[in-house]
Amino acid sequence: MSTTRHLINRRRRLATAQAPRPAPPPPRTDRPDGPDRLKGPVRAGRPGAGEHPGHPEHPEHPDGAVRTGRPGSGGGAEDASPPRSRPRPRLPAALGVLTVLLGGFAAWATGEAAALRDTSAARNTALTDIARTSELKGQVTKAVNELFSYDHAATATADRAIRAHLTGKAVGQHRAMLAPVRAQAARQKLVLTTTVTHSGVELIDGDRARVLVYADQSNTRTAASKPETTYGAAMFAVEAIRKDGAWRIAVIDTLGAGS
Amino acid sequence: MARTMRGNPLLTAAAALALLAAGGAGWGGWSWYAAAHDESAAYATTRDEVLAAGEQAVQNMNTLDHRDLRRGLDTWQDSATGDLLAQLTGGRARFERQIQQARTVTSAKVLSGAVTELDTRAGRASVMVALRITVTPPKGAPAAKESRMLGELTRTPEGWKLSALGQAPVGNTAGTAD
Repeated sequence: MSTTRHLINRRRRLATAQAPRPAPPPPRTDRPDGPDRLKGPVRAGRPGAGEHPGHPEHPEHPDGAVRTGRPGSGGGAEDASPPRSRPRPRLPAALGVLTVLLGGFAAWATGEAAALRDTSAARNTALTDIARTSELKGQVTKAVNELFSYDHAATATADRAIRAHLTGKAVGQHRAMLAPVRAQAARQKLVLTTTVTHSGVELIDGDRARVLVYADQSNTRTAASKPETTYGAAMFAVEAIRKDGAWRIAVIDTLGAGS
Repeated sequence: MARTMRGNPLLTAAAALALLAAGGAGWGGWSWYAAAHDESAAYATTRDEVLAAGEQAVQNMNTLDHRDLRRGLDTWQDSATGDLLAQLTGGRARFERQIQQARTVTSAKVLSGAVTELDTRAGRASVMVALRITVTPPKGAPAAKESRMLGELTRTPEGWKLSALGQAPVGNTAGTAD
């Protein structure tokens, strides 16, 4: 079949070369031709319409091709133009419909995908992003341990922790929370130790996160001849922000409790 | 062929647009399929389900009205499975007597919660739930206290249920309890 097509094309090229200016297309006379005769030229001339190479009417093709190519060949010329011009509005129209359908599906599918990805569950990568979850937990644990521990004999360590782990609103919150400790520290020779026992990541949304923290605290007064220690339990949440590769505590949420 | 295309810019444009739309449809479809079958999204959804179930169950287990003991304790049992359910069922009669004598009304509010572990294959999870529990005695003012709850959940045919519940021990890292 393809040999036939080749032949057709070749003949057509030859014909075009021989007659560079074909006569203007004759008036449309496609109707009288009937469908049987139309098919040949249509298939021969249009690449997009050649899906059925095994069509029984193929033997006609050479004829049709010759007709399309040779304007001077009587009745053939009358067939030639109509088949070319007739499907023109049809094929673009079909392609237009196809475009609309495919475009509609594309838009719909993209919307569905975005909706699936944009659920609050999917945006929150706590636990789903294992590396980031454990990095966050580790850094918040370390930050809380350092920020809420205070040794009257090593105040520089506490100041360093503030610079390293706090940002924004949390700086002031932390200062207010530690103020009583700092006020008494020197006189009572206080050693406050905070140890995070449990932490759970509630939310990771990009560079923002929220972590729930349970911590134990021991507060030892070493000024007296007999040191006395009190123990306490703390629970709070921190909001952290990732800056320059490190998580910093931006808000300390005491969960409605005082202090 | 080239002649046809050159000779018909409308067809060329229509074909190009259709091709573009086909590409868009293919990409959109793939993207949709990928989003629908995204494992981490499914895991995230389960995580949120576990948290919701855990917070509700922990709240249920810390809510009890002596005037409506039966319903309260039924809710406890509905929220539990496994060992915890066995404990509740076994100790129910004794507990009922205690509450009837104390005549307390206990209510709980979840302050914050987080899933700390989730194994979707085994159907097990751990949660932290920060609670405020308010106990109202028959006479006198209600007393509120904060409670650091740790729970374990197990997947059951009726959803995620608590299989263990307790408070985070205090002072275990620094010595004795408060």
